[in-house]
Formats: sequence, structure tokens, C-alpha cells
Amino acid sequence: MLKNTIQTALRWLFSPLVFSIAFLAPLTTQTLIALELMVPGTPAIIAGLIAGGAFGLMAHFRGSWIWIK
Amino acid sequence: MDQVADTIDWDVLSDDELDAMERKIAAKYMQKFPIGIIAWGFTNTLVWLALWPLVLMDILPLWIAFPIAVLNVTLAYLPSHDAQHSIIARRGQPLRWLNELLGHVSLIPFATPFRYLRHTHMEHHNHANDPDLDPDYDVHASDRLNFFRKHLTKMQPGHTGEEDRYSEALVRTGRSNLMIEAVVVRTLYMLVLYGLALTGYAIEAALLWWIPMHIAQVYIPYYLSWKPHHPGSATGRYKDTEAFRSHLGNVGSSGMQYHVIHHLYPRIPLMDTPAAYRELRPILERKGCNLRGL
Repeated sequence: MLKNTIQTALRWLFSPLVFSIAFLAPLTTQTLIALELMVPGTPAIIAGLIAGGAFGLMAHFRGSWIWIK
Repeated sequence: MDQVADTIDWDVLSDDELDAMERKIAAKYMQKFPIGIIAWGFTNTLVWLALWPLVLMDILPLWIAFPIAVLNVTLAYLPSHDAQHSIIARRGQPLRWLNELLGHVSLIPFATPFRYLRHTHMEHHNHANDPDLDPDYDVHASDRLNFFRKHLTKMQPGHTGEEDRYSEALVRTGRSNLMIEAVVVRTLYMLVLYGLALTGYAIEAALLWWIPMHIAQVYIPYYLSWKPHHPGSATGRYKDTEAFRSHLGNVGSSGMQYHVIHHLYPRIPLMDTPAAYRELRPILERKGCNLRGL
């Protein structure tokens, strides 16, 4: 029971979707702001979530972050 | 240094005499205390740890910190590698604590546990190039381009392969508990990345750790595994590893031009393998090693 819970949690933690939302989305947002392409605020966060989330979804369903598999 | 082999006519020596001479030369280098790699391991980790406050407090610009972090993460493995082979001190020796401490501390930037790497690495030494038992066998590729292609494939979320070989090796040798350490350390690494990113430090996390990790995860298997074992088709003491001449020189290839010495005598410190190679070279030639003109 505990083993299964831990395995599920880890699978979730290491999944492309979580990585894209928890890391790539903030990275995209903060890069857009640092490059002065957007100002800090909700639109920048949404842009990061869309870019990161789309990338994560693609990786989740294709099993690959890039064209190669 | 006293060259054991300076005035010898190698061609008149029998196989047994060559063996004895090989062991005598190797023993000389195995007695050396690797102060250089100890300093390297601790300094490297300290510098990498220092980058974080320096960057987060705007004392050091990120564009300067990034290449330093790449070097730190890439250089993190080799001091632990000497410790994996107990080169600083073997079990029961007074400085054993230092050996183990170096192994653990030097790997912090590389976010991989020492005992997990040590045990799987020993299996690599025991079964180098064995398609069934060598945990590093997946690194083999027909050429450089194929190596990078395989590496890219391996990094993808849908890939299963090398991790399984490491797990298999641990299960086979009754050390599956070490997988827990690997999972814990990688989980911590991910949580730190996520935590930094979600608190406004995503760029710092990417440039000080995430991207350097990706670079290190290409460089290390390329120079420490693929290149010296290429083509990976032969097994046996004098056949499973080859010398090579790197475009980046000995320093740029982390001393791996002389990796053949490491596989013959794993307890020779990394920094002494070039000297040991030069002295052992006539014997290695006669034993049938492929030295590729080095």
C-alpha cells in the first residue's frame, strides 16, 4: 500500500506534465520578463503556463520532449 | 621519478617476466596518495555551493556563474570515482572516513548518490563490455553521432533502458536498497528545481544546475565510458578498454586517454595514470592492447 503510494507520487513528480508546470512554465515566464518581452504580471504567467504546459502535454503523449524517440 | 623500466630490452622478456614487470610498475603508482583529487573534489563542490548565494544576492553575474557551474557539475564525478575505488583509503585504514566523505561530497553537484554509483561501477569493472552484465553497456554506439542520438533518446520520458541496467545490476548483486538512495537524491534534486522555479529563481536554477547537469550527463558518458571502451565488442583484461588521443587533450578529456590503465589497475589515482601509461606502454603493446598510437 505504502510502496504503491510512493511509486505513484514519484511517477507523478517525475512526469513531463509536472516538470513543465513546476519548472518550465516559471522558467518561460521569468525568461520573458528578463528579456523585457513581457512585464511581470498575470499575462506573463499565463504565457509561461501555455508554453510550458503545451510542451509538457506533447512530451506526455509522445513520450519525448523533442522529435527523436 | 625512478623509472622501473628505463633500461629494459622488452623483446627478450617472457610473458611471465612481462607480467611481473607490469605489476611492479603499477604497484609504484598505486602507492601514491592522491592529494590533488581530494582538493579537486572538495574545492569543486564548495565553489559550486558558493555560486548560489553569490548569484542570488547579485554579487556575481549569472553569465559568469553559468560556465563555472557547468565546469563544477562536469568535474563532480571524477573525485568520487577515485573514492569509489577506495584510492584514498581502503576499508579499515585510518583515512577511510576521508575516502567516503570525498565520495559523497564531490557528487553533490551531480545529484547522484555515491554508493549507488560505486556499486554499479564495480559491476562495470567486473563485466566491462559484456552485453548482459555490464551496466554501462547501453552507452555503446557505432560512432559519435550515434552516441549523441542514443543519448538524446535516453533522456526522453518514454525511454526505458539504462536505468533498468543499473537496477538489474543492483538486484543481481543483492544491493537493490541502493536504488532507494538514487530515487531520494533525484527527488530532492527535482524538488529543489521546482522550489526555486516557483519562488522566482527559475533562470538561476536552470543556469546553475539544470543545464549544467544536462551538459555533464553528455560529457561524462562520452569521455568516461563511450570513447575509451569504443567499439565495445571485446572483453578481457587487455581488450575491453583502449587508449585514444582526444581533440581536447588529456585535461579536456578528463584524463580518459589513459583509461586503459584504470581498467588494468583501478587503484592507480586518476592523476597518475598518464605517467603510469608512459611507463607501462611497452608492456601494453606486447600484451595486445589497442593504444591507437597514443
